[in-house]
Amino acid sequence: MRTGLPTRRRPARPTRPSRPSQGRLALYFLAPALLALVLLRLLPALMALISSLRHHSLTDGVTRFVGLANYADLWADPQFWQSARVTLLFSLVINPLQVLLALGLAVLFNQRFAGARFWRSLVFAPIAVPPAVSAVIWGILYRPEGPLNAFLGALGIPAQPFLTSPEQALYALIVLMSWVGVGYWMTFLIAGLQDIPREVYDAAGMDGANAWQRFVHITLPLLRRPLSFVLVAATVSNFLVFAPVQLLTGGGPDGSTNLMMHDVFRRAYSVGDIHYAQAEVVVLVAVTLAVVAVQYRLMQGKGEE
Amino acid sequence: MAIETHRSPRATHGSSREPHRSPRRRISPARHAPLIAAVLIGLLFTLPLLWVLAGSLRPGDKVLAGLESLSWRSVVPTDATFHNYVTLFQGDFGRAVLNSVLVAAVTVCVGLLLSATAAFGLAVFDFRGRGAVFAVILLSFMIPFDAIAIPLASTFRAWDLQNTYAGLILPGIGNGLAIFLLRQFFLAVPRELVEAARLDGLSWWGVFRRIYMPLSRPALIAAGLTLFTFQWQSYMWPLLIGTEPAKQLGPIALGTLQGQMVVDYGQVFAAAVVLTVIPLVVLLRLQRYFTQSIAGSGLK
Repeated sequence: MRTGLPTRRRPARPTRPSRPSQGRLALYFLAPALLALVLLRLLPALMALISSLRHHSLTDGVTRFVGLANYADLWADPQFWQSARVTLLFSLVINPLQVLLALGLAVLFNQRFAGARFWRSLVFAPIAVPPAVSAVIWGILYRPEGPLNAFLGALGIPAQPFLTSPEQALYALIVLMSWVGVGYWMTFLIAGLQDIPREVYDAAGMDGANAWQRFVHITLPLLRRPLSFVLVAATVSNFLVFAPVQLLTGGGPDGSTNLMMHDVFRRAYSVGDIHYAQAEVVVLVAVTLAVVAVQYRLMQGKGEE
Repeated sequence: MAIETHRSPRATHGSSREPHRSPRRRISPARHAPLIAAVLIGLLFTLPLLWVLAGSLRPGDKVLAGLESLSWRSVVPTDATFHNYVTLFQGDFGRAVLNSVLVAAVTVCVGLLLSATAAFGLAVFDFRGRGAVFAVILLSFMIPFDAIAIPLASTFRAWDLQNTYAGLILPGIGNGLAIFLLRQFFLAVPRELVEAARLDGLSWWGVFRRIYMPLSRPALIAAGLTLFTFQWQSYMWPLLIGTEPAKQLGPIALGTLQGQMVVDYGQVFAAAVVLTVIPLVVLLRLQRYFTQSIAGSGLK
């Protein structure tokens, strides 16, 4: 029975020998999930790493170890840098945009007014739309003869090319991704706002703080943890945007929407160089993890000094 | 705008216009600003969906017609017909939706069982290497799945899992995040309860099934939602592994519909509605748990 004491690894008194140890018991419960995680997550990650060090020669049909050659090629490849630039620009625009909009919406919808929950669920609704579906919907909205241009026409603004223009296509994707993302991130921030005790606001009110001062000195600092989570999670998910690119622009026009995830896919399946694509996967994952680590550091450190 | 109007009832009574701070008084010109902003923003976000819903009830060739005169009729079909839905489900799309439902349902059931037992193992037992196991779980959800989908697809092809339900379902059942969420919840279950049950002769499996499972309904729903959304929203994996029409999932079939030479927008919209309504109903009904899980997970 003593094995039931979970706080100690070794029971103080010897147990009956037939009883399985805590480690054995834990293994029974953990094994299926661990097997799945190792086989379906960690092993493919490791395989990508190994595969990125190999090269399949078309001349003799042999795959051999080439060390960092794929990475060196990648480094010298203008296509890769073009894709990296697009991804960087995309990230620098979409992440602050989504976090700020989500914050504004969270503050708005955390207030009490008639039907607050209903209006909030309207903003929440696009969350349910799968990425492929939202891409198709917005692809039609953006069509030259589509409703957005009809609306602009009604306002007297000339029709815009949207997805067919190298200048506008990336921003068109940003709008479509934010339509889904903002409501999602908003829910995390609303949960955070609701955790802030009212007394803090009351006290600040007594001290004569106005709405803006309360927002800057109370809401923002106390929302630091949910905000940093949203920033990190948004960055990761926006690094991996794929469905709208694949369905709508195919990376074009002129490579203006060639986000890295699409570039990887293109190299693996259109170009057919799987090892080269794996090297890019490894770079993408490494950059993602590094950015996440830096963001966490920055957000956790801020306000604690 | 939202920041300016940040005057929830609990915060208004300190504003400089009201020196005597009566908590009941909320009269200000900006009183209705939040409501107006909320209505406008809510409508803005829903408009594309309403338009799609309306379009799905119109004959395909009329979806993009009449746009030169935008009016309320653009989002309210006056001559509604379910023709698009009927045609859609007679084709490959009906099969694809059923596939999606099947894949999501099996993933939620098997995935929850796997995640809950693992979370139980982590939360209840003390053993050497627990830290390492926990690290494996964290690492598994730090590595974004879509990024490793391409190497995993090569393996699955080597294992002959291409165009099989197993191939479509398997990646969804090992979900580190679901394990993590459940573990956080399980840690809060009082130890006394477990010890009492053990003294009464309940097996560990019994403790798991009779105590942890019933107590953890909200956490199980939250973890189930995580598993469901992963599968319902996935696009790259089914694109790589489910290429045969018989094994296509909804989003892929939708892409095929849209990629045809002559696009029937009525059908595309009907497909979009079907693929959205199913998760929308689930999410709106379980919204409460969705936020709770995040609030309780320590992730924020």
